[in-house]
Amino acid sequence: MDHAEAVRQKATERYLLDELDPDVRDQFEEHLFDCQDCALDVRAAAMFVEQSKVVLAEPPAPALAAQRTPAPAKAGWFSWFRPAFAVPVLALLLAVIGYQNFVTYPNLMQAANQPQVGPWASVNVSTRGTAATVIQTHAGEGFSLLVNLPPEDGFASYAADLYNPAQKLEWSGAISTATAAADQARQIYIPGRNRQPGTYTLVVHGITAAGESKEISRHPIELQIQK
Amino acid sequence: MELQSFDESYVDRLRAGDFRTQEHFVAYFSELIQLKLRSRLNSPQAIEDVRQETFTRVFVALRGGKIRQPERLGAFVNSMCNNVLLEHYRASSRDSSLEDEEQQDFPAVSVDVLGALAAKQMADKIREILDEMPERDRRLLKEVFLDEREKDDVCRDFGVDRDYLRVLLHRAKQSFKSLYLKNMEARPPGAVTAGKR
Repeated sequence: MDHAEAVRQKATERYLLDELDPDVRDQFEEHLFDCQDCALDVRAAAMFVEQSKVVLAEPPAPALAAQRTPAPAKAGWFSWFRPAFAVPVLALLLAVIGYQNFVTYPNLMQAANQPQVGPWASVNVSTRGTAATVIQTHAGEGFSLLVNLPPEDGFASYAADLYNPAQKLEWSGAISTATAAADQARQIYIPGRNRQPGTYTLVVHGITAAGESKEISRHPIELQIQK
Repeated sequence: MELQSFDESYVDRLRAGDFRTQEHFVAYFSELIQLKLRSRLNSPQAIEDVRQETFTRVFVALRGGKIRQPERLGAFVNSMCNNVLLEHYRASSRDSSLEDEEQQDFPAVSVDVLGALAAKQMADKIREILDEMPERDRRLLKEVFLDEREKDDVCRDFGVDRDYLRVLLHRAKQSFKSLYLKNMEARPPGAVTAGKR
């Protein structure tokens, strides 16, 4: 047996695992005693086998065992309920809820129940005009649009669309006439938060009893926000 | 133990009784002879007897100028060992006392401090190699080498074939070999690793 054949056959491993037939074993040994590479291989593998018996016989060391303890695959939702995390979070939540219940909401309730004075503009649906209605507000302040619906024009109901200065639809809603006199105005309140100045457009549609929609009014509303 | 080429110069030094060369020669071939004999002889004492008789005859042959191919020195030692082994078998068939001896541990020839350090280093390396193995492979090796279970049974239980076991051993050996070689080269020729042989 030559060296290439010994390597090809994995003779070192077979030799140490007692897998070689007697004849092949004799051939390999004849080569082994002459070949320092194979001798090194066999001696290293034999040393590994002998020493691994000692290591494998050892009970797992606590530190090693701890290392081998598989870590939780991934912190799931329930990890949020760990006391270390949950207790301070709950305390913070209680503080926020307390502040809202005892300070914020009462103030809001009081403000909502108080008469409000604010800017407004009147929109006559029956009057088609191109001149923009100007309305001035302060930053963060809302405003109202009083929509005067035309009396007895045959529509079962009305709907309105509000477009922002970029001409994107910002709001759309029905204007009910069921409980009001036909010529009564309806108020549309436009909140002031994050509102940008510019020309808004209010489009009013009349809706027939058959469900057909027809645009009956398009009003530009120029919003000016004062500093 | 340095790697030395077995050539005419080496054989001349052996024949002349150069101590360092003789130490290297005995250390190098002792390991190979012991590996060779362990699958053929059950008794450590019988292994030791055959080993010693082999060296005695090789040295006699050396002094008698019977080694004409220095580069085949290893093959000559192997051949001599085979002869001694055959004689041992014949003697054992007449008197089985050697083979019937109980298994016993015999101490290493010499244990040096460097050797002990090297042994610890190698044990650490082996521990590292084993630790990096998947748990299944560790158990597989344990059952084959430590528990000495029948290899076919172990492979069947683990759902692998014998080639898997060979490759596993091959990879472990490759990981271990560079440290083994480094330690062998650093140690004096006569020193052997502390521990059982």
